[in-house]
Amino acid sequence: MKRMPAFCVLCIVLAAGGNTYADIARPSPSPEQPKIIFHTSMTVIPDKNARDARLQISQDSLNELKAALANTSADNSIRQRIANSPARTVIAGLCLFLSLSIGGIWLMRSAQPRGQKTVAVLLLGIAVVGAGAIITQANAGPPPSFQWRNLSQNLNANKPTYASVDIEILPEGYGMKLVVPVKNQ
Amino acid sequence: MERTLSIDLHAWRLGHRARRRNGVRLFAASVIVCACLSAALATWLPLQLSIVTVFLFAGPHNWFELRYFLMRLPVRFGKSRNFFVVAFAGIGLLTAGYLALPLLYNFTSWSSDAWSMVLASWNTLLLLWLGLLIWLRGKNKQRRDWSWSIPAALGLCSLNWLAPELFSLAIVYLHPLAALWFLDRHLRRTRPEWLRTYHQCLVMVALLLAGIVFRLIQTDALPDDNGLFWRITQHSGAQLLPGVSSHLLVSVHLFLELLHYGVWIVALPLIVPATIRAKQKPNRIWEVKTVGIARHPRGFPKLVGAALLLGLCVVAALWFGFSIDYSTTRDIYFTVAIAHVLAEAPFLLKML
Repeated sequence: MKRMPAFCVLCIVLAAGGNTYADIARPSPSPEQPKIIFHTSMTVIPDKNARDARLQISQDSLNELKAALANTSADNSIRQRIANSPARTVIAGLCLFLSLSIGGIWLMRSAQPRGQKTVAVLLLGIAVVGAGAIITQANAGPPPSFQWRNLSQNLNANKPTYASVDIEILPEGYGMKLVVPVKNQ
Repeated sequence: MERTLSIDLHAWRLGHRARRRNGVRLFAASVIVCACLSAALATWLPLQLSIVTVFLFAGPHNWFELRYFLMRLPVRFGKSRNFFVVAFAGIGLLTAGYLALPLLYNFTSWSSDAWSMVLASWNTLLLLWLGLLIWLRGKNKQRRDWSWSIPAALGLCSLNWLAPELFSLAIVYLHPLAALWFLDRHLRRTRPEWLRTYHQCLVMVALLLAGIVFRLIQTDALPDDNGLFWRITQHSGAQLLPGVSSHLLVSVHLFLELLHYGVWIVALPLIVPATIRAKQKPNRIWEVKTVGIARHPRGFPKLVGAALLLGLCVVAALWFGFSIDYSTTRDIYFTVAIAHVLAEAPFLLKML
């Protein structure tokens, strides 16, 4: 009989807890990230005679931008599907690991001495190409921000600045923004 | 006497060669005419022709496939017992799993990501089954090591898990090509001298396919404002590939399907025997005794007859269903038809 009040108290606590939890506000949705749809270049030209700021786009660039806008929905849907499913990506990686491991063992077990030489040459070729790729990557040019490093000096000196730019589509807002990388010297 | 015999023999040889040449010409002409006509119609009227084609040929081509598979089935499995056990178990389980998918869809409210996982799991089972079948088939062949099939299947599984919907779409487009492979293997066994001509025809088919793509790549999407047209464009992958014209997708798929039906309904049962055996009594497709396991003394003629008769009833039921409610029957058909897609794999492997 003594257990009955304790059981009732437990029920009340659980019910209150449930209500309290239900009253917690929903977590605010994470802000949608802007999507890069196009990579091009931009030249910032200070002009003392200009009465208003102008954004000039060549016809070719505009056509490419239109095409990029048309393709972005399909491209993003596939890319997002892959990026937004870590479980599937992990399983895909696991399958790839098993495939390469079992394939390697099969190659070593099945290949004849002549075949083993072929496999060795093939692996050496892959290693050379891989090393070449790493070296090439290591010798890659400076990051895009490097081209913008002299923007303020150029603006002061009334000189143009030429650099690359990614065109992003923002889900909200109005107008255009130019975000320029600035490094503290 | 010897001279007379020699002259007769020479005339017989000449006649035999002439008959062979005529057979090859007839075969090549049939393939070229069918392929060109299919390409033209698939480009011109894709949606309308798709409806008519499925109505007319979907059921009969499955019946001809059933008959062909029965013809290739041995009376006793012998050393291939494990292969056939795995093959039939896989066909049964994978078909049951595939049929369960629409039922699950109706009774559950899973997210699209969860559905992708389910689809990827089914595709993985299919790939592992295929890998196992290839491995088992390789074990029955001397001087062949087909163990590469397991890592290859796992590699394909990896791709499948990245984009399961696209992988399923790839099966939709690759399945019709299996019929061309069947015909290749059939000719290799029965008429090897036709193979060169057949391969030249395949090059022409590839060129026709390239022509369809080139012709339709810039065209507008097909109107899919009614349920049936929407189903046809979705089946061809219009939703998965929104950047590609649905006209191109439907036309390419229809062209491949027409070739597939042509091989099963025309080429394999009719052209090959009719042209090869001009003077022999041709095999009649409705005769049960033309099937090996029915003709054999230890065979199963009643079982084969019943299977073929049941197949004919299913064909008639399909036609009736298409007449009453085309869209629903089409959906049911393309779900159940996964069984014949799966059944092609072991029988094709047995011919390799």
